[in-house]
Amino acid sequence: MSYFIELVASGLAIGAVYGLVAMGFAVIYKATGIINFAQGEMGMLTAYTSWSIAVTLGTDAVSTVLVSIAVGAVLGLLCERLIMRPMLGEPVLSVVLVTVGLAVVLRSVVTMIWGAAPHKFEVAGADTILQIGGIGVRTSQLTVVAMLLLAIAGFWYFLRHSRFGVAMRAAAADEKTARLMGVSTARVQAVAWAAASGLAGLAGALFAVIYGLAPTIFEIGLKAFPATVLGGFDSILGSAASGLIIGVLENLVGGYLSSTLKEIAGFVLILVVLMVRPFGLFGEKRIERV
Amino acid sequence: MRSGFFKQGYGELVVLTDSPGVQAWTAALLIVMAVAPFLLSTYLLSHLTVILFTLVGALGLMVLTGFTGLISLGHVGFLMLGGYAYAIGVTRMDLLPEVALVLSAVVPALFGLIVGIPSLRLHGLYLAITTLAFAHIVSATILGGGTFTGAGSGIMVDRPVILGMDLSSDEAFYWFCLAVCGFAVLAVLNLRRSYIGRALMAIRDNDIAARTMGISLVRYKLLAFLISAALTGIAGALMGIYMSFISVESFPFLLSIEALAIIIVGGIGSVLGAVFGTIFIVTMPELFAMLMSAIGGQLADAMTTMAHEVKTILYGVAIIAFLRFDPRGLRGIWHDLRHAWVFWPLRY
Repeated sequence: MSYFIELVASGLAIGAVYGLVAMGFAVIYKATGIINFAQGEMGMLTAYTSWSIAVTLGTDAVSTVLVSIAVGAVLGLLCERLIMRPMLGEPVLSVVLVTVGLAVVLRSVVTMIWGAAPHKFEVAGADTILQIGGIGVRTSQLTVVAMLLLAIAGFWYFLRHSRFGVAMRAAAADEKTARLMGVSTARVQAVAWAAASGLAGLAGALFAVIYGLAPTIFEIGLKAFPATVLGGFDSILGSAASGLIIGVLENLVGGYLSSTLKEIAGFVLILVVLMVRPFGLFGEKRIERV
Repeated sequence: MRSGFFKQGYGELVVLTDSPGVQAWTAALLIVMAVAPFLLSTYLLSHLTVILFTLVGALGLMVLTGFTGLISLGHVGFLMLGGYAYAIGVTRMDLLPEVALVLSAVVPALFGLIVGIPSLRLHGLYLAITTLAFAHIVSATILGGGTFTGAGSGIMVDRPVILGMDLSSDEAFYWFCLAVCGFAVLAVLNLRRSYIGRALMAIRDNDIAARTMGISLVRYKLLAFLISAALTGIAGALMGIYMSFISVESFPFLLSIEALAIIIVGGIGSVLGAVFGTIFIVTMPELFAMLMSAIGGQLADAMTTMAHEVKTILYGVAIIAFLRFDPRGLRGIWHDLRHAWVFWPLRY
């Protein structure tokens, strides 16, 4: 039983990382109707950049978190301004393929700059083990779960109560009408990219702190796909929650069945879910109108 | 008295092109391609062979993404299935190479049907992720397949004797690839102008409209997956024979991106575009490496140690640049050039 609880606990930690990335997918999808395939790579670039900053400046835990969010947001803004903005109004197929191109470029640039050898992302106090209800949990693992909860609360408040959040939902619901009401859809897209990339950056940095820094970090993007699909692309909070489900499922499969199956557990799950509910567990059903 | 150009008889109506110019140039190209082994160095010949079997795979993706508009990020999965179906057929089941080659088209086609079934319910981007998931599941299954699939150690593939032709020499294999590639090009060209091809393109342009015209989405989306997977599977088998060895590592995810880059750079939805795209994408890294070694020094060292990364960046930049600046691709540029040549000095 304690083995089971341990698996669930570490599954929640990795699931929270997936959840953060998945929220990023959903934010961009909701605001612009496309999927950013470069999400994991943005997290990867941010993780490496904040590692370099942490090593040169010797930053502590709190500022590492802040730096990673800031670096991610700036990166997102840059990508949006330089690459995505000129593609406004192009067919979805083209825009999505541009993000695929961006993903492979970022991935290789990171490997070229920082090399393929793994590093340890040292943050003071991150590896301290806390005893909670009989199982040991690292503070970094607790932090990532707390961050996810914080992000969920923040986004819920932002979308529900802030002026810009409402504008964002309006743009997602009906872009043309939103523009007529004076919402700048270009600015909504910029903010969505900054927010999504900030989330991915945070996820990337925290993942690096827990599991080490290696060029395979971009896989958090791949692993977060099932979470977003499970939650439904247009459900930001649903995606975050599904991240936890996928993380726990993956860990249980890895713990009880086999490690090869662990890698694809999430994908198999979404194949099944999509057969039954093609719009995700929490997604809105799409109605075709002619 | 004849007062114009008339088509008399079915032969003239169904011929692929009625332009003597196009026929003459195509014949010239075919002759040059056929005698190429006598003229080219071993290096250039193997490069040409790579272009030929890559083109078969690119045509496979073209049917799915270019004609039907279904984005696939998992074509490397079909490629892998094709390669492994051939290798397992020859080494484990002692089948004739001809039968194994057929198997390398049939097995991916069946899996294409399985992947295609969710596509009937899924909206564009969900499908891209499903195919991505499929590719990962295939590679994980092969890795976990024990001795039957060779697991992590891969399978050695000998050059076979097919239809009495010994493919052990590079020249013979080149001719074989040329023949397969020729058939694939002809098949896709003809598919495009048949009822099936028009149905697929109608689905791409507007699936609801296509449905109201009486096109069964179930049948034609599945058919697109079937044809696409079969073509890609054959390309995978040829790739396996060319490399004489297949393993999961020889089918990296990059190949999916390469295939997408090919059809985007060439021009989505056109067979000529696929040809241009393949030549461009396969040749570009080689040219770039040559350029770097000509400059010499540190850059050349970086090229050799970072070959995979440099190649990836080139593909990514090519995808972004073409989509951003000329979504018509190389085919559009070729079109403009031809018009400029024909109408010079007039603009049109």
